[in-house]
Amino acid sequence: MSVAENIAKLDDMVGPGVTACLGCNAELSMRMALKVFGSNTIVGIPPGCMGGVQSVGWADKTGMKIPVFFPLLDNTASMLAGIKKYYERVGRDVNVVAFAGDGATVDAGFQALSGAAERGDNIIYVCYDNEGYMNTGFQRSSSTALGSWTSTTPVGSSTKGKVSHKKDMPMIMAMHDIPYMATASPAYMPDMIKKLEKAKNVKNGLAYVHIYNTCATGWGYESERSIEICRKGVQSRFTPIYEFENGKFSLNINIKKPIPIEDFLFSMKKYKHISEDQVKDLQRYTDEKWENLLMLCNATDK
Amino acid sequence: MKQRKVVDGNHAAALGALLSKPDVVAAYPITPQTPLVQHFSQYVANGVMDSTIVEPESEHSAMSILTGSSLAGGRTFTATSSQGLALMYEPYFRVSTMRLPIVMDIVNREMISPQSVWGGPQDSLTLRDAGWIQIYVEDNQEILDMTIQAFKIAEHKDVLLPVNICYDGFYLSHMTEGVYVPEQDEVTEFLPPYRPTHVKLDPEEPMAVDPLTPGNYLQYYRELHMQAMDEAKRVIKEVNDEFAKKFGRDYFGLVEPYRMDDAEFVLVTLGSLTGSARVAVDLAREKGVKAGLIKIRSLRPFPLEEIKELLKDRKAVGVVDRNVSFGWHTGIVYQEIKSAISDLDTVPTVPFVGGLGGEDLTTELMSDAIDHVVKAGKNSQIENKTIWLINDKGR
Repeated sequence: MSVAENIAKLDDMVGPGVTACLGCNAELSMRMALKVFGSNTIVGIPPGCMGGVQSVGWADKTGMKIPVFFPLLDNTASMLAGIKKYYERVGRDVNVVAFAGDGATVDAGFQALSGAAERGDNIIYVCYDNEGYMNTGFQRSSSTALGSWTSTTPVGSSTKGKVSHKKDMPMIMAMHDIPYMATASPAYMPDMIKKLEKAKNVKNGLAYVHIYNTCATGWGYESERSIEICRKGVQSRFTPIYEFENGKFSLNINIKKPIPIEDFLFSMKKYKHISEDQVKDLQRYTDEKWENLLMLCNATDK
Repeated sequence: MKQRKVVDGNHAAALGALLSKPDVVAAYPITPQTPLVQHFSQYVANGVMDSTIVEPESEHSAMSILTGSSLAGGRTFTATSSQGLALMYEPYFRVSTMRLPIVMDIVNREMISPQSVWGGPQDSLTLRDAGWIQIYVEDNQEILDMTIQAFKIAEHKDVLLPVNICYDGFYLSHMTEGVYVPEQDEVTEFLPPYRPTHVKLDPEEPMAVDPLTPGNYLQYYRELHMQAMDEAKRVIKEVNDEFAKKFGRDYFGLVEPYRMDDAEFVLVTLGSLTGSARVAVDLAREKGVKAGLIKIRSLRPFPLEEIKELLKDRKAVGVVDRNVSFGWHTGIVYQEIKSAISDLDTVPTVPFVGGLGGEDLTTELMSDAIDHVVKAGKNSQIENKTIWLINDKGR
C-alpha cells in the first residue's frame, strides 16, 4: 500500500474549513502531522498562522478534534513539558505535541525549547518554518533568509531586504543531542510522514521536526505553485532534507545535481530585487551548509 | 505529637509545600528564594518527596511548566522573587485568567534599579491587579501554615484561582525561628486531592483551551473572575477557621487586628514589619496613647468590609509602606486603605514609606510614626504628604 493510501485511512484531527490561505502548505503539514500522531494527542499551537486560522478555535468553537490550546508565543516547549511531566507521573502515554511557527520557535520560543531539549523532556516539537511572521503581514524572523523582502526588512535605496542569513535551527537542535531531529518538506511527503512517525515513537527525550514550508501570500507566488516552490528549495540544496537520529546524521534526499539557487529565488516576488552579490552570498551559504552536512553524515557513519 | 523545628523562612515554606504533596514543582533559583529550591532538590534526592521536580531554564519557563501540569490536572507549586517574578509576568497573568490554582510563594525583594537583592514587597505589590490571590505573612510559622492553606483556598470550587504567599526576603527568608511542623496525616486530611473539571487537557475529554475570544465573552470571564475573588474572601476565612480548629493556630482570616478594641490611633501594616509595629503600639499604650494596629493579610482579595469596619470612628490612621507608587508619591497600601475608607466620615490619614531595599524599620521609627498619627488626629488634619521613615537622615 502506498503512503498516500495509508495516510488517507487515518482520521483527520483538524476540522474542515479552517481559514488558511489558498495553497497553504503549513495547513497541509499540520493535517498530516496530526493524522500521524492520532487521537491520543494534546497539541499546542502558539500564536502564528496555524493559530490564526482558528485551529484552536473562535469563541466557543474549535478547529480540532483533540485537546488543543494556545501557548504563549514564547513558552510552547515549557507548557508542553509540564503537561508531559504530569502524564508521565500518572502513567499515561500521551503524545504531547507542538505545531509552532518559526517565530515561536527560532525567535521568542527558543530559550524554552532549548531548556526542554537539554532536560530531555519527552515532547514532540514540530516547527513549520515559513520564514517570517506571515500571519501578521510578513515581518522578518531570525529564520528569514538573506535578501528576502519582508515588511520589516523592506527594499529601499540603502538596504535591500534582510541583511543576515537564516538561523540554522535544525542543526542547533541536533547539537542539543536530542534523540531525534529531522527536516522535512511538503514536496517529499512520504519522507515527512516517515519522520513524523519516528518522532512519535521517541520515548527518551525531545523529538524535533523542522518543516520547510513556503507561503504563497507572503512570498508572492501563485497558490497552485506551493509544492513546486517547496521542491525547488530542496532541489537547490537550500533546504536540505536530513535527519539526526541517536547521534547519527543522514541525508535523506540526496540532491546530486542541484538546480542553481537563482531558479529557486526568482520563482517568487520576495527575492525579485536581489543583487548579484546577494545571490552569490546565498549560493555560497547553501554550498557551505551542504558540505558541512555531508561531512557530518560521513563522520557519524559508523 | 507536634514537632517543633528551628528553621528559616525558606525552610518553613519548603516544609509547607512538602506536606501539601504537589504533583509537580518547577522553580528557578533566585536570591533570596534559592535555599527553598535547594530544599526541594534535597527532599527528592533523599526520597522523602514524591513530587516531580523540573529544573527550568528560567522563571518564565517555571511558571509555564506549571501551567501545563496544572492544565493536565496536577497540583503545582513554585516560588520566586523580584526579577524572577518580573520575567514571569506573562505566564503569571495568564495562570489567573485561566483559573489555574497554582500556589507560588513570593520571597519579597526590591525591584532594581539600583541593583539590590534585599527585601521589600515592591515586586508582588506591583502585580496586585494580575488576578492572583495575594496573602502577606509575618513570621515563619505563618509561612508554613499559609503555604498549606493556600492550596485549599486556591483549589476550592468557588475560587479556582492561583495564590501567592508573600514573605519578606532576608527578614523572614533567612531568619530562623521555632516552627511547629504538622503531621503529614493531618495535612493530608485537611487538604483533599485536586480533581479539576473546569479546565483540562486530556485526550479522553477533548477541550480547546483559550481559543480566540471576542470581547463579550472576555468580559464575562472577567466578571466571573471578580466574583471568584469575592468568594475567596469567604473561603480564606473558612479555611483559616478550619485550620485553627485542627492545628490550633488562628490568623484571623483577611486582616489581623491588634489592640484595636478601643484604639484611637491606628497603624496599618503588611508583612514582617508588623513585628516592630506591634512593639511600638505596646510602648505607646504604656504611655497612655490608645494605639492599635491592623495587619493586612489578604491584599487580593482586598478586605474592604473589614477595613471599613475597623477604621470607622478612629481619630487617625497611618499606613506604613515598604514600597512606593511612583506618581502618587505614597506607598501602594496607603492608596488601598484610602480608597477603602473614602466613603466613611473623614478620618485623617498619614502615608509612611520606609524600609526600602531591606533597610531596618526599627521600633523607634514605628514609634515616630505613631507620634505623627497622633498629631494628625489631634489637629484633625489630613496629611497626604508622605513621611519617610529613615534611620540615617544624612544618607
